[in-house]
Amino acid sequence: MTKKRIIIDTDPGIDDSLAILLALASPEVQLEGLTVVHGNSSTEQGTINALSILELAGASDVPVAMGCELPLVQPSLLAPETHGNTGLGYANLPNPGSKPIVQNGCDFLIEQIMSNPGEITLVAVGPLTNIALALRQEPRIVQAVKEVFIMGGAIRHEGNTTPLAEFNTYVDPHAAHIVYHSGMPITLTPLDVTYQCILLADDVARIMQVGSDIPPFIEAATRFYMEFHDEYQGIQGCVINDPLTLALTFAPELCDYEEYYVDVDISGGVSMGKTFADFYKMTGKPANMKVALGVRPRDFIKLFVERMQVLSRRIS
Amino acid sequence: MTPKRIIIDTDPGVDDALTFLLALASPEIQLEALTITQGNVTVERGTRNALAVLEFLGESHIPVAQGTSLPMVGPLLASGHVHGSSGLGNANLPEPTTKPASHHAIDYLIERFLAEPGEISLFAIGPLTNVALAIRKEPRLASAVKELVIMGGAIREGGNITPQAEFNIYADPHAAHVVFHSGIPITLIPLDVTHKCMLYTKDIQRLQKTNSPISRFIEDATAVYLEFTKEKTDIDGCALHDPLTLATVIAPELLTLEELYVDVDISSGPSMGSTFADFYGNTGKPVNIKVALDVRGKEFVELFLERMENLSNSALR
Repeated sequence: MTKKRIIIDTDPGIDDSLAILLALASPEVQLEGLTVVHGNSSTEQGTINALSILELAGASDVPVAMGCELPLVQPSLLAPETHGNTGLGYANLPNPGSKPIVQNGCDFLIEQIMSNPGEITLVAVGPLTNIALALRQEPRIVQAVKEVFIMGGAIRHEGNTTPLAEFNTYVDPHAAHIVYHSGMPITLTPLDVTYQCILLADDVARIMQVGSDIPPFIEAATRFYMEFHDEYQGIQGCVINDPLTLALTFAPELCDYEEYYVDVDISGGVSMGKTFADFYKMTGKPANMKVALGVRPRDFIKLFVERMQVLSRRIS
Repeated sequence: MTPKRIIIDTDPGVDDALTFLLALASPEIQLEALTITQGNVTVERGTRNALAVLEFLGESHIPVAQGTSLPMVGPLLASGHVHGSSGLGNANLPEPTTKPASHHAIDYLIERFLAEPGEISLFAIGPLTNVALAIRKEPRLASAVKELVIMGGAIREGGNITPQAEFNIYADPHAAHVVFHSGIPITLIPLDVTHKCMLYTKDIQRLQKTNSPISRFIEDATAVYLEFTKEKTDIDGCALHDPLTLATVIAPELLTLEELYVDVDISSGPSMGSTFADFYGNTGKPVNIKVALDVRGKEFVELFLERMENLSNSALR
């Protein structure tokens, strides 16, 4: 089986770090690099986190490139209440011994995609600033990228940042607008499906049965995340958005998809950053992405827990 | 006097080309490079025009870097009706034999400004896409640019592309928003002043007395532009929008500048791309831009004509 070559564009972030671990645990994919963007944490902190997580999993050979520090147009919005001041909840990883590559994240994306046409799958689990900027600098990545999986948006589901808008899209709606209308083949994983994928304390306990440095990291990171979900949303457990998006690159059967014309409101009103699908073809515009609207959540959580156990055993 | 070192970010464009001529005719200015964006014409056409004009003037050593082909967020807007389908009116310059730099304009700007922080000024006379994306890609650019002079906006004056909006800003309002709020020291040259700097048909005829390739180029390049203005406004002349930015260097005494908080509407309503100044401090926000609100237009046009006559007489007789 040929491995799917992926680059994760990410703002680590608790669920981002779980997505990175899931990529490293999955034989179906080969992680070619991480590009870091502002979002859950600052780009600088996110880069430290990315390097630390790779080091934790013994994967420091994976290059990490720092991307944009600010959204394209909007002011900066970070999420310390959701992910903690370091972005990794209560986890305390040692400072990484490795460094990010010198190349800018946007340039890394352009170079990797352009020099491997049709080969690179992009998994975007943060605000879309890096990808939008890369698209404007090198429009040919539209044809050269294999596929793009995006964690973002809330179609029928309520928002998690404003009543209407999901965090990644709200943080840089203009970037989302650029990416949605770019012509790249997109699969969107909105809150409609991710909010059904709740990792429970019991699930974490099963991961903890394996002895290595990874389970205590997952426990400490998700404990903070679970407290946030309890306090702000009344949810027991935590929603692991980004790992679901990553899993769809090799296990598409976890979700059901529909093809729609999807757009994002950038008009600056109360709907700013809101994503919507043209279910009834009111706009007359052709579909621009596949949207995951149904999910088998326990199948996904089971896959996630098992892979974390395997990865933990592998490095122990 | 050491000449001021400048890079022009441009969408050539008739008045863009006149700006290159004026820069090269002015001993106060050292033109270091051109970076090209979409706007008056596509970025490919604009790059070709920049190279062709430089070659025509024997200045092909000046590097040209091609930039973004689309605005940041909005759709592409081109103004072929004003600048002719080639972007240079009826002027027919030969295809350039030179090529643009291998760098993308975004990276070219970043590299040049960061290599010599505080040394080079940027003149942006097209939509601000390249500049905005360069700032987002490399935030340190904001403190490395000595000064940024922008042709764009309409403060009290009406717009020239919508009732309220000026073309360069309307063509990429999001980029203007980024640049206006970047912290770079900005001087804005809006329609309020450029509309006072009219180059009339009689001025172009006066230039023909030099009987040089340059004066003929100016006549051919401005022909479509003049027809357009005449049809729209019944004025037998065209505004020297972009060249007026250089007045900040060669004749600053002609401009009346006021420091104000200036913003651009990006909310997608009928005011999209409209620029406004907070004259009465209603927003409580600190000033971010020096805005030219008046100009002694006739004197600037006279200066422009004299420089064009000198250039015609010296360079290419």
